[in-house]
Amino acid sequence: MNLLEIKNLKAKIGDKEILHGIDLTINRGEVHAIMGPNGSGKSTLSYVLSGRDGYEVTDGEILLDGESVLDMEADERARAGMFLAFQYPVELPGVGGMSFLRAAVNARLREKGEDEVDQLAFVKMVRAKAKALGVDDEMLKRAVNVGFSGGEKKRYEILQMALLEPTMAVLDETDSGLDVDALRIVSEGVNALRGEARGMLVITHYQRLLSHIVPDYVHILAGGRIIKSGDKDLALEVENNGYAGLIDAA
Amino acid sequence: MAMRGLSMQPNLLRENAALCLQAKQEFAANGLPAAKNEAWIYTRLQALTLNPANAGEEAQADEAGVLSFSAGWLQTGGDNLPASVTLTEMGDDAILGEFAAHLPEDHFLGSLSLGHATGAYLIEIAANAAIETPLQLVFEGGEEGQSSHPLIFIKCGAGASCQLAEIHSGTTSLSAPVMVIDAGAGAKIDHVKLQAEDSQASHLALTVFAVAQTADINSFTAAIGAKLGRHETHAHLNGEHIEMALSSLYLGRAEQHQDITTRMLHHMPNCTSNQVIRGVLDDSAKGVFQGKVLVARDAQKTDGQQMSRALLLSRKAEADAKPELEIYADDVVCSHGATVGELDETHLFYMMSRGISEDDAKNMLIQAFLIDALEQVRHEALADILSHAVHDWMAEGL
Repeated sequence: MNLLEIKNLKAKIGDKEILHGIDLTINRGEVHAIMGPNGSGKSTLSYVLSGRDGYEVTDGEILLDGESVLDMEADERARAGMFLAFQYPVELPGVGGMSFLRAAVNARLREKGEDEVDQLAFVKMVRAKAKALGVDDEMLKRAVNVGFSGGEKKRYEILQMALLEPTMAVLDETDSGLDVDALRIVSEGVNALRGEARGMLVITHYQRLLSHIVPDYVHILAGGRIIKSGDKDLALEVENNGYAGLIDAA
Repeated sequence: MAMRGLSMQPNLLRENAALCLQAKQEFAANGLPAAKNEAWIYTRLQALTLNPANAGEEAQADEAGVLSFSAGWLQTGGDNLPASVTLTEMGDDAILGEFAAHLPEDHFLGSLSLGHATGAYLIEIAANAAIETPLQLVFEGGEEGQSSHPLIFIKCGAGASCQLAEIHSGTTSLSAPVMVIDAGAGAKIDHVKLQAEDSQASHLALTVFAVAQTADINSFTAAIGAKLGRHETHAHLNGEHIEMALSSLYLGRAEQHQDITTRMLHHMPNCTSNQVIRGVLDDSAKGVFQGKVLVARDAQKTDGQQMSRALLLSRKAEADAKPELEIYADDVVCSHGATVGELDETHLFYMMSRGISEDDAKNMLIQAFLIDALEQVRHEALADILSHAVHDWMAEGL
């Protein structure tokens, strides 16, 4: 069975249709990249997939493991295995990082019918995964994302992904705001999570992320439609020639 | 322990003390605060059940440091108090006069409870005493329909330190305590008040702090229960180099009305006051914060801060804020602010995108909102009392 199947997806914000019919199929083990210019609908697609209020699907279907997610709230989708790494991770003043992470992990475990993890075991688990991503204890003690640098916020996103072990991970502009070293650390974190357990959709404006996280497939999104699909070489073509030529050809 | 003149068939002050009789006349003449009364503009009082209770039976002594009141009367003899704490009944006009002199003049809440007084007690903490066990004043309602009007006068001697917890619950009609806390020079007082009355009760409280130089006061009120709650606190900073924290939180559901009214009165130079107020209102609940910081002409180098924030969980909930600065000195640092808002959709979506249910996410965000206020309580055991009460409120469901 396909992991994620998007069929003729149309979506609007308010009265404005942003996605005009998207078809995309992702299988376990595959990494797909969606590239596109600003305003092409990339972030809208990520929000529609994760179930944000205010993004209305007017036609089409989204199937996760063969089940429609359209009637599911954001939290239900997450517990079913969907994950969104935010372009702009949200600061939650007063919400302690550890209790936030544990609430999320336990919600997912409960859904899977597994036992919740106790506090001590959880701290061990977080520390081990955090270390690999260069997330130190000091960051873990703070309120969620509060006072984090841009790079720290992105690493924290990937830490959450590592803890939640989603089946379908959507990474929205994960490279934005990262310097070269941070980009490498984040990419290594993502690559460590690649494998048969999950599929990934990497949304990006620039090719540079894709030389670190090498995709199996690349799709060009423009004007709310996928206008071209190919392999990783398509990303290089964008890098060399820009989006204009591709959009004109389509 | 030390106890003087505490009888279980006390002199009924409201029928004998001249001050009480006078207050009762005042109350009868003035009636409820008029619609145009500025201090009561957001909190309108309907008819009050005025049926002050008589003293009940003496009960078994409580655990150390606990004073139990029923319908405004102390139930135990106070022989479980530390040696440096003295408990006395305020039975004559002299001590009552000293108590009443601290109250604002012609004040509705003052004449209400002086005029209908139930038990009246003086608790004295000896100078330089360091009380390690919190004194807990636990107020329970009496029989249905009875009103409670305890008068409590706490004198904390110079250099003494103590912790006070005031817990109000179980009243079905009216609970109207009047408390004066007189802090001597250099005294250090931690005070929390938890108002968790029954859902039909009215709680109308007047608390006055009279603070001498270099005293350090950390006071916090949590208004959680009652149908109508008014917590009016006046703090007189009567000496230099006082540190005064006077913070609060209020929670409301259904038709609850919570009113926090404070007057921070800087009479002398070089004092610091800080007020952090947080309110959470659901359903058709209403919250009021009225806070005045007054800085007298001589009170140079005053640092007076006040910040009130209310969180509305429902379209029908309402928060009114009236922060006021009245400053006559020219070399001060004062600020105030008041905000009213809703839960942030972005915050909720971020949490839900991690699989956290909407209810759990809301609960975490409400707790996060309240934490700024709760963190103002510096004494751990007292903070725990309030955290548990807030936790219980959350557990009752959104």
